[in-house]
Amino acid sequence: MAENVIGTDISPPDLRAKITGRARYAEDFRAEGMVFAKLLLSPMPHARVRSVDTSRAEAMEGVLGILRASELPLQESGIGEAALTDEPKYEGEPILAVAAVDETTAAAAVEAIRVDFEQLPFVLDPLESLREGGPDARLDGNVGGRPEPLTIKWPDSVFDEAGPDRLPMGEPAAEWTIGDVDAAFAEAEVIVEETIVHQSVTHHPMEPRSCMAYWQNGKLFLHGSTQSTERTRGAVAGMAGVEPDDVVFIGEYCGGGFGSKIAGVPSMAIPAVMSRKIGRPVMLRITRYEENYIGRARAGFQGWAKMGFRADGRMTALDLYLVQDGGPYGRASDFSTAATVATATYQPENMRFRGVPVYTNTPPRSAQRAPGGAQIVAMLEPLVDKGARELGVDRLEIRKINAPGHDGWLGQNQAPFTSAYVREALDLGGELFNWDEKRQLSGQRNGTKVTGVGIGLSPFTAGSAGRDGLLVIRPDGKLHVHQGIGNLGTHSISDTARPAADVLDLSWDDVVIVWGDTSKHLPFSTVQAGSQTTHAHTRANHAAATAMVGLLQELAAGELGGSPADYRVADGRVFRAGNRAAGLSFAQAAERAMARGGKFSGEVVPEDLNDATKAAVAGLAGQGLIAAARDNYPREGAVFTWVATFAQVELDIETGEVEIVDLASSTDCGTVMHPRSLAGQTNGGVFQGIGMAKSQRWVFDPKWGIPFTKRFYTARPPGILDVPRSPRFAAVNLPDPHTPVGAKGIGEPPVGAGEAAYVCAVADAMGGMCLCRTPLTSDMILAELEGRPRPYGLLDTHV
Amino acid sequence: MAVIRDMIPPFELYQPAGVDDAVRLMDEHGSDGWVLAGGLDTFDWFKDRIKRPAAVIDLGGVDEIRGITGAADGGLDIGAMTSLTDVAEHADVQGRYPLLADAAGLVATPQIRNQGTLGGNIVQDTRCWYYRSGWPCYRAGGNICYAATRRSMNREHCIVGADRCVAVNPSDTAPALVALDAEMVVVSTSGERTYPAADFFIGPDIDIERMTVLEPGDLLTRVVLPAPWEGARWYFEKIRDRKSWDFSLVSVASTLSVQGGVIQDARIVVNSIAPYPVRMGAVEAAIRGREPSDETGHMAGEIAVEDARALRHNDYKIALTRNLVRRSIRDAA
Amino acid sequence: MEFLRRALNPWGEDVPIGVSWDLIWAAVIIGAVFVVVHALMVPKKVGTGEVDPDEAEGLPEKLQRHKPGARGFHWSMSATMFALLITAFFPVIGIQFPWVTIHWIAGVLLILTVIYHIYHVFAKQDFWTMWIDRRDIEEGKQGLKAALGKADAERPRAGKYPVDQKMFHHVAMVATLGAVVTGVLMMFRIDNFLWAERTYMFSDATWGWIYVIHGVCGIGLIFLVIAHVYFAIRPEKRWMTWSMINGWIDRDRYLENHDPARWTVPEAGTQAAEAEGD
Repeated sequence: MAENVIGTDISPPDLRAKITGRARYAEDFRAEGMVFAKLLLSPMPHARVRSVDTSRAEAMEGVLGILRASELPLQESGIGEAALTDEPKYEGEPILAVAAVDETTAAAAVEAIRVDFEQLPFVLDPLESLREGGPDARLDGNVGGRPEPLTIKWPDSVFDEAGPDRLPMGEPAAEWTIGDVDAAFAEAEVIVEETIVHQSVTHHPMEPRSCMAYWQNGKLFLHGSTQSTERTRGAVAGMAGVEPDDVVFIGEYCGGGFGSKIAGVPSMAIPAVMSRKIGRPVMLRITRYEENYIGRARAGFQGWAKMGFRADGRMTALDLYLVQDGGPYGRASDFSTAATVATATYQPENMRFRGVPVYTNTPPRSAQRAPGGAQIVAMLEPLVDKGARELGVDRLEIRKINAPGHDGWLGQNQAPFTSAYVREALDLGGELFNWDEKRQLSGQRNGTKVTGVGIGLSPFTAGSAGRDGLLVIRPDGKLHVHQGIGNLGTHSISDTARPAADVLDLSWDDVVIVWGDTSKHLPFSTVQAGSQTTHAHTRANHAAATAMVGLLQELAAGELGGSPADYRVADGRVFRAGNRAAGLSFAQAAERAMARGGKFSGEVVPEDLNDATKAAVAGLAGQGLIAAARDNYPREGAVFTWVATFAQVELDIETGEVEIVDLASSTDCGTVMHPRSLAGQTNGGVFQGIGMAKSQRWVFDPKWGIPFTKRFYTARPPGILDVPRSPRFAAVNLPDPHTPVGAKGIGEPPVGAGEAAYVCAVADAMGGMCLCRTPLTSDMILAELEGRPRPYGLLDTHV
Repeated sequence: MAVIRDMIPPFELYQPAGVDDAVRLMDEHGSDGWVLAGGLDTFDWFKDRIKRPAAVIDLGGVDEIRGITGAADGGLDIGAMTSLTDVAEHADVQGRYPLLADAAGLVATPQIRNQGTLGGNIVQDTRCWYYRSGWPCYRAGGNICYAATRRSMNREHCIVGADRCVAVNPSDTAPALVALDAEMVVVSTSGERTYPAADFFIGPDIDIERMTVLEPGDLLTRVVLPAPWEGARWYFEKIRDRKSWDFSLVSVASTLSVQGGVIQDARIVVNSIAPYPVRMGAVEAAIRGREPSDETGHMAGEIAVEDARALRHNDYKIALTRNLVRRSIRDAA
Repeated sequence: MEFLRRALNPWGEDVPIGVSWDLIWAAVIIGAVFVVVHALMVPKKVGTGEVDPDEAEGLPEKLQRHKPGARGFHWSMSATMFALLITAFFPVIGIQFPWVTIHWIAGVLLILTVIYHIYHVFAKQDFWTMWIDRRDIEEGKQGLKAALGKADAERPRAGKYPVDQKMFHHVAMVATLGAVVTGVLMMFRIDNFLWAERTYMFSDATWGWIYVIHGVCGIGLIFLVIAHVYFAIRPEKRWMTWSMINGWIDRDRYLENHDPARWTVPEAGTQAAEAEGD
């Protein structure tokens, strides 16, 4: 019997190449005759291109072509963004691209281009745009709507009534209610309310979205950095104006995406189209500077929350208003997700949500690791602590009181969960952190340092279903797991293959992962977003492996006689039960399958497969024993993962500096697939979240609308020196009953947990003072402690 | 003309093997020349195409100004090209000038300290992000300080010493060297000059376009530390947003000569609150003859910020400066 | 040589940021050339001493030319002007010192001086004595001919102020007012004892032109000061220079250079006598 690989630590197949530097990322590829492209970025936050004079650039030796917005097959439409534009809506938005024999020439050519801009009104602060007469980020409106943008303006009285430090709350764009909030507040034992703010922050993946493209015989070959593989091909095809079959997308490694490279990125269009235009392979190396403009960002909030509690700590009412800073394009839905996540955290008996997603002339937003979820828990958790203090309820206890159980519900429609071991996770984390003792340290003073402890509980969606698995047993006897998912650094390409090995009772050494190149025949997959992958593709590969077992049994019965049910599969063999010798090795099975054809070798495929999978199988047909299956496992309810992080900090009251002394996290993410990777994912997310509160910033000059945090050192995401050496981690490790493997995703919820735990611990060290905003940097803390003027207004953004 | 960043324009590279060659090359190229040491400041400027020298004079091969040796009067002589790691880890520096070892050891990250030099850390340009963005401010030869307006993002800027420009000196080693009363040895084709560290840094009132006395053709070659005070106490602290690569919000360096429980002499220096490291003369005068107690520190802190004036977003620096000066006396060891 | 210093503003727009500092040297060189050429070409004609005794009759020995108020203005102006020019241009040419405070204080004093002058001109002096009229133009033509050594040209006598002095005054006035007005505007770029900064009250380009005007006026004043000092020390003009120190001129100089019809000194005697106490 092969050892089960689910739940064990196995080095992923890409690890050695990454560590030794042999892994080739998009920027590392070269092609015969390859040239370089450089971008001309908008110098203004909102403008219209009147005219462009490229004559000097075109006259330069080595300049091969200039690509304008009008030449792109996929152009800006409505709120949709394109790779290039003639109406830039943020400073740094690409206007055109120049291709030249080398980057030095291309850069010099960009400098030689003269663009005549017409300045247009711009806005950075959503509240400014909501004022009567305030500027709009877009010419067609200021608020996200469907299908067209809306224009929402609030009368001055709304702002006057609110004053400078309280959120003005005029007409919302979205609103829903559960129960009767006002009645619940009337009966509440304790009511807390605060203005809450969460900053927008850029994604900062280590690998910028560089991309290289060339055309051969009408087919586009594109090397890019993406979170997903199979799903990126279609997106690239759309950008290039060709059919998906005419695109070969290659992206075996991805230096991080965090939601900014879900299924391709708009800038991939530039080398793709430029290459076709000039007839040469084109490399577009995106620099760190450019990455900070086109690399996406998390939507920020200016908000207000009011909570009512019963004496026992149960949250009876939550009233939430969120103004979203959504950048200039699309419909960042963070604000509505935030409300949903709030329900998954507290199950408020009554709730009202109002929100207005405002467009701003700042770089585009996209999902960023727990979009909406991280923000809302970081803003609300300290408020819950405030309620707990007033009620005299322990802070761990109040979270357990309000957390959902298996009978919990989610969101406006109060949908069920597939599983929710939240209290178990809180208990586990509490034990790991030693909450009962640590909470006694709260407020303890040692010299100039005051200890604070805090908890952050963070739920997020954790899985989808209905994708396809595709397995091939080749004549070498190896099981080839074809993965359409991307390799975004989470190990999911190998970890989601584990169920296949376990179902087939196969040694992991005999498993080959096929990934990262659409010419390798990859099945229909989920996008690597929303922490869907672990859940979705353990299911899909489980389904495919189950189908494979069936095929092996049928094949063996056909070859060796008897009924398929007489056969077992283990250790790379299919054999008659009780007689290992009477059977076929996988290598033999592959040979026989190829000889038999039909459903064994991919000539006939299940009807319910996605077309992309069918095409992949067709491409592989005849190469071995092929099993492809759709995940048809039943599932009722929303798949959610919860992470609880516990933080202990020391706040220096003379400097405002905060040192994280201890961190412990626990999770309910169902069955643990890969313990070491799970801990890495969780701790990494926790650090990322802490960074958003502690040091990271996205500062703009309000007069010019230009950001300064375009480098790591000015944007200040946390580094390895900023976190404790040994953060602790544990998982409940109870399977989700609605999936055969029991696994749920983990990518996103740790972010909010870490951030909330940090913010709560700081508030605790400050005697419970709730700042309920991020960033929460030492200057702000010191100003509060010293009673000096606040560095920024409570509602200020981009500070 | 469009602006493009993050792409170093071409230049001529010169790699002199000695100080004489280096200063001759610097003299030859004048303001078209650029001296490259560790490159941590340089390559930012080059990548952004804001500084575009025709000639880069790389000091990487000038070994004669790399290393630490004993100086004549019991002090220490540190070559400007000595890496910050070597400064921070040198036994003599750690043993006799722990203030400098500490300051050098808190620069940026281990990788940057391996690459960065002491000289480069001392003469580095300000990190004001308006200036670093290539905006035509006073410091860049223009007629405006973008950082001093009521709408500016100036959390990191001046509370003292501003003169039109409100940028601050970002160096971690500079305040330590002023507190140690170091001497800066400067060489040019016209010979060698020596400046006390405190006079080496200049404010925008004197010249708004540079931060030190160095003019084109001048090379900081060595830093000479005098023998430390007998039984000196010292203190260094750098407040920053994160422990990975980050510049100080405020830093403090102090040396105290304490005898019989009383401060005989003191040098208190605060950086990142002005365009130059600020030697707190009034504080030093006020604490002489007093015990290095919290009470003295408290008084010193108040004196330190008497002339401070906050911009829109940096009032916290007043409190921070006051508290750090207080600590630098109270907690000096 | 570029006339302007230009830069790209944060939005990448090409804007002027000031006048080229090369023009400082241009002003100095032009001033020097002017002085040398003038000194070589124009003969030093000290007064002839030929005066009409009839005209002299009834006139005192000393006639007041500048009231103490006017002299005070002149010297205050020259002191502040030197302070302003030195603090403005020495740092640019490499002689560095903390100049800004001195510069703006000198500027404030200059403004006060100018305000006093304007008040004095209207309240205490005859505004029209500085006006250039037809006779001045004629005088100028004749004077130019005489200066250029045309034998037949008779050097005309002036009103209270010779036309070249009037012209100098007006050019200096324009340059000074230009520098003063732009200088006051520039004070809005920094917090000062009067007001908080209003850096963004004008666009970048407008600010640029303000700096250009300030620079042009300042550099123009370099030339004007050179010329002015040169004339002040020329032998045939020294009597005028002295009059700016002690207030009076002697009768012979008066009759030699001034037309009593255009500058009557009715109570010259009394004025001269009272001069010391004015």
